[in-house]
Parts: sequence; C-alpha cells; structure tokens
Amino acid sequence: MSIRWLAVRSFQHSQDLLAAINTLSIHLKLQAAGRTDSEHTAQANQAREVLRSFLKMLEPVITDAERGETKPVLGADPRLRQLAKSFITAKRNCHRFHSALFRDTFTRVQQLLGSPKEQDRKPLLECLAELRVLIEEHVHTDAEQVLGEF
Amino acid sequence: MRNILRQSNADLLCDIDRLGERLRQAATAVPPELMPFYEWVTNQCDAFREAVKEHLHYLDLNQASILPDVLSKTQVVTRNLHLFNRFLVSPVLRGCPSDRLCLRVLQWLHGAHPQTQHIPAAISDGDYATFPDPPNPTIYFMPPSAQHRLLYLPLFFHEYGHLLYACHRPEMDALVRNLQGVLVQFLEPSVQRDDRHAPHDQERRSTIVETWYEWTVELFCDAVGLVIGGAAFIHSFSMYFRMLGRDEFQVRAEALEHRGHPVTWLRIQLLVDRARRMNLHDAAQGAEVSWNTIAEEMKVNEDYFGFYEAEFLTAIQQTIDDMLTEAEPRHFDEQAVEDSEASTSSPVPLLNRAWREFFKDVQKYSEWEESVISAYLAEQR
Repeated sequence: MSIRWLAVRSFQHSQDLLAAINTLSIHLKLQAAGRTDSEHTAQANQAREVLRSFLKMLEPVITDAERGETKPVLGADPRLRQLAKSFITAKRNCHRFHSALFRDTFTRVQQLLGSPKEQDRKPLLECLAELRVLIEEHVHTDAEQVLGEF
Repeated sequence: MRNILRQSNADLLCDIDRLGERLRQAATAVPPELMPFYEWVTNQCDAFREAVKEHLHYLDLNQASILPDVLSKTQVVTRNLHLFNRFLVSPVLRGCPSDRLCLRVLQWLHGAHPQTQHIPAAISDGDYATFPDPPNPTIYFMPPSAQHRLLYLPLFFHEYGHLLYACHRPEMDALVRNLQGVLVQFLEPSVQRDDRHAPHDQERRSTIVETWYEWTVELFCDAVGLVIGGAAFIHSFSMYFRMLGRDEFQVRAEALEHRGHPVTWLRIQLLVDRARRMNLHDAAQGAEVSWNTIAEEMKVNEDYFGFYEAEFLTAIQQTIDDMLTEAEPRHFDEQAVEDSEASTSSPVPLLNRAWREFFKDVQKYSEWEESVISAYLAEQR
C-alpha cells in the first residue's frame, strides 16, 4: 500500500495555491495599469479565499515548528511540516525574502488580502511573489515524487 | 519572454487537442460504470484548453508586469497536464470490459456515502494506492492479478478511507493532533535528564510523535476497511501481507522514523482488537493465530522500539473511534451477509461469502469465483 497519496495531495494543494497566487497577482497588476478586469474579479475573490484558508491552516503549524527542532509539529502531514520549516528558513533569509509575509504577522497579511486600498496593492503583490517562490520550491519535490524525473 | 510563452502555450494547445481526440475515440469502449469519470476527464481537457487560451489572451495585452505570472500559470498547467497524462487519462485509454468488476464495487462504495456519491472513481494498475482529491475523481490502483478476483477487493475499502479522511481533513487533523498531544505525555520521562543525551532523547520523542500522524491516518483507513467490509476485510488484509516477509513483523528502529505505515503486525493487532469489539471473533482469531504462528516460525519478537507501547492502545483506539464517528463510513451489515443469496445492491455479502468458500475448499474456489463474478456482473447490468 503506497503512501504516494501524501505527495499527490501536497502536489495538488501547491498547484492550487500557485493558481490562486497567479490569478490574484494578474488581477491586481491589470487593475494598477488601469485595465478593467471585471470578468476576472470573481476569480480573484475566489483566489483571495484560497489564500486566506491556506494562511489560516499554515499559521499553527509554523507556531509549532518555531518551538524548535526537538519539539514535534502536531496535526500536520510530513509535507506540510516541511513547508512550515521552509517558511521559517525563508524568514531567516532577509536578503531573499523581505515582504510582509516574512517580516510581519499573518494578521497583517490577511488584512492586505482583504484590503481594497490602493496603497496596500504593492505590499500584497510582494507577498504573493515571495509566496510563489516558496511554493514553487516546495512543489518541485512533490513533482519529482509524483511525476518522476525525466 | 513573451515569445517563449507564446510558443509553449501553442504547444500545450496542440497536446491538449490531440489528447481530446484520443479521448473521443475511446468513448465507445468506455464501460457504463466509468462514464462519470470519463465525463470529468473530457471536461478537464476542455478546462486545460480554456486556461491556455487565457494565457494567450494575457500575452496579447502586452503588459510586461504580468509576464512572471503568465510564466507561472503556464508552468502550473504544464505540470497538471503531466499528472493528467500520467495517471488520469490511462483509466480511460487502458480500460477494458473486465474492469467492470472493480468499477462496480467502487461505484457502490462511493454511492453508499453522501459525501462521496458525486465523486467519480476509476481504476488503474499498480500497487494498492489511491489519489484522493475531493471533489475531483479518485483513482484506485490495484495489481492487475487481483483485479479479476473477489478476495482482495475489500482492500479498496482501506483506500476509500483516505478519501473519507480528505473529505473531513480539518476535523481529522485536529483529532490526530489531540492524539499526538496524548503521546507527548506518555513519552515524557518521569525524570528529566540534563546531560549530553537529553537533546537526542527529546528529538527522538519528537520523531515518534510526528510519525504518528501518518500512522494514525493509516490505522483509521484500516478501521474504515473493517467497518465496511467486516470479516472479508481482515481476511484480505491478513492474507495479502502475511507472506511479504520479515519487514511485515519487525522493522529496524531507524527505519521506523517517519515511516509511512505502522509495522503490519501492529496493524493486524489493532484490527484484531477492533474486530473483537465488532463481534467478528472468528476472523479476529484466524488473523491473530496465523500471524503469531508465522512470527514464531521466523523467530521474530514483537518490538516497536518505543514507537508503540501497550499503554498507547486505549488512546489510539479512542481516536480512531472518534474519526469513524466523524467520517461515518457505511457499516458492515452482518444480516446482509447472512442473506447473501438475496442481496444484490452491496458487494460486501458476496466478498464475505467468497472468503467462506475459499476457506471451505481452496481447490474448488477458483471455479466458484469465476461463476459468481459472471452472475454478479450479469445481475448488475
């Protein structure tokens, strides 16, 4: 009985997250460029919901993981534990990751996600771009396990 | 960058169109039980096409700022298409009439629960596994040799447990988290060391507790199998694993760390305990005796190197009980098994009868099995 389901679940979750990040990012950028993108507004709102749920799920796992290597992370599968650990490593790398996602609280990022204010667009786009990097690196491992190497 | 993306998206479009053609050609051979899955696959193919067309539309906007997003979008679709080609298309393209037995069982299994009745199912070749991603279809993998027999079909019920877990993931994860909290308490030493070994010991306890996430999921799936299939499940499970060798009985301490499944002997013991609570005494006794006999013959002692202790049992079984309450799998109906001749809607009586026939006369079993499979499929037309 194979446990590939764990990698597949993680792969698909990461793919869904990337889709949400890209949809919202394009919507915000077209808005900023003065191009009305009303047909994709509903998709952008859906993407915000996907990202909100993800952050809500990730936050307690990161809290557990931040207690240190010798304390267990509870209620999370190995791939989510790994993602939380990658997030903590990224937080320590201020050269590569400097958006609010890694420098501020999750509450602040949730606020940015829901904010209609123009001045919040840029910091939100920075968060999305850096979250995309983190998830792309994470999905690579799953893709290798699920799809194999060429 | 824009040109690179145009080329790659145009190429994706060709790929998707060719795949769509092959799927259309395969339509006439698709058995009725696979139609919901087939429809999902063709819709998904259309969704890929629409996504790629959207990428091309974004490229036509000539907005440099969105190029990184369109690049990432294209990569997402490319990877999804690879997954689609690798696993999701083959149940349709490789499909054959003899898939109907497995598909019938899966159709009943999904239909028997309100949360899975609208999730299409399909089968593919491979070791027992599943890809649960509700509300998307679930693919069940099964070794080809087992697909045309009755005895190992109950192992689908374990795989179905993974789908139920996925349907209730937040609640299930919370229950597993509670159990892990209890295990932290059990593993806490009565006297705290303060020497150079202390951090290593603490890390080891942490590894044991984290490993129990995957183990609890698997034990829940075993319990789902037993609840749905009754004695047939424990017979299938025990028979499938008991000749796979020493690793099914004992695994080295280092290899237990973050292992995806508990040692099979432990799974058998927890199944036996649960089967007894379900009054399936004969099946429980049969599995217990056969595993103990083989272990004795191989001179293997029971040792889980601290990953499992007898004092964990009550907390584990209580957690699994709570998970079963949450997921509500369809319960094995003993009366239906007794009336197996009359019952046609559920395959469970037939699967239990198969094991009784097998134990009654192994020599005559194959012939019996072949005839009842034909009758079962004819009834279900």
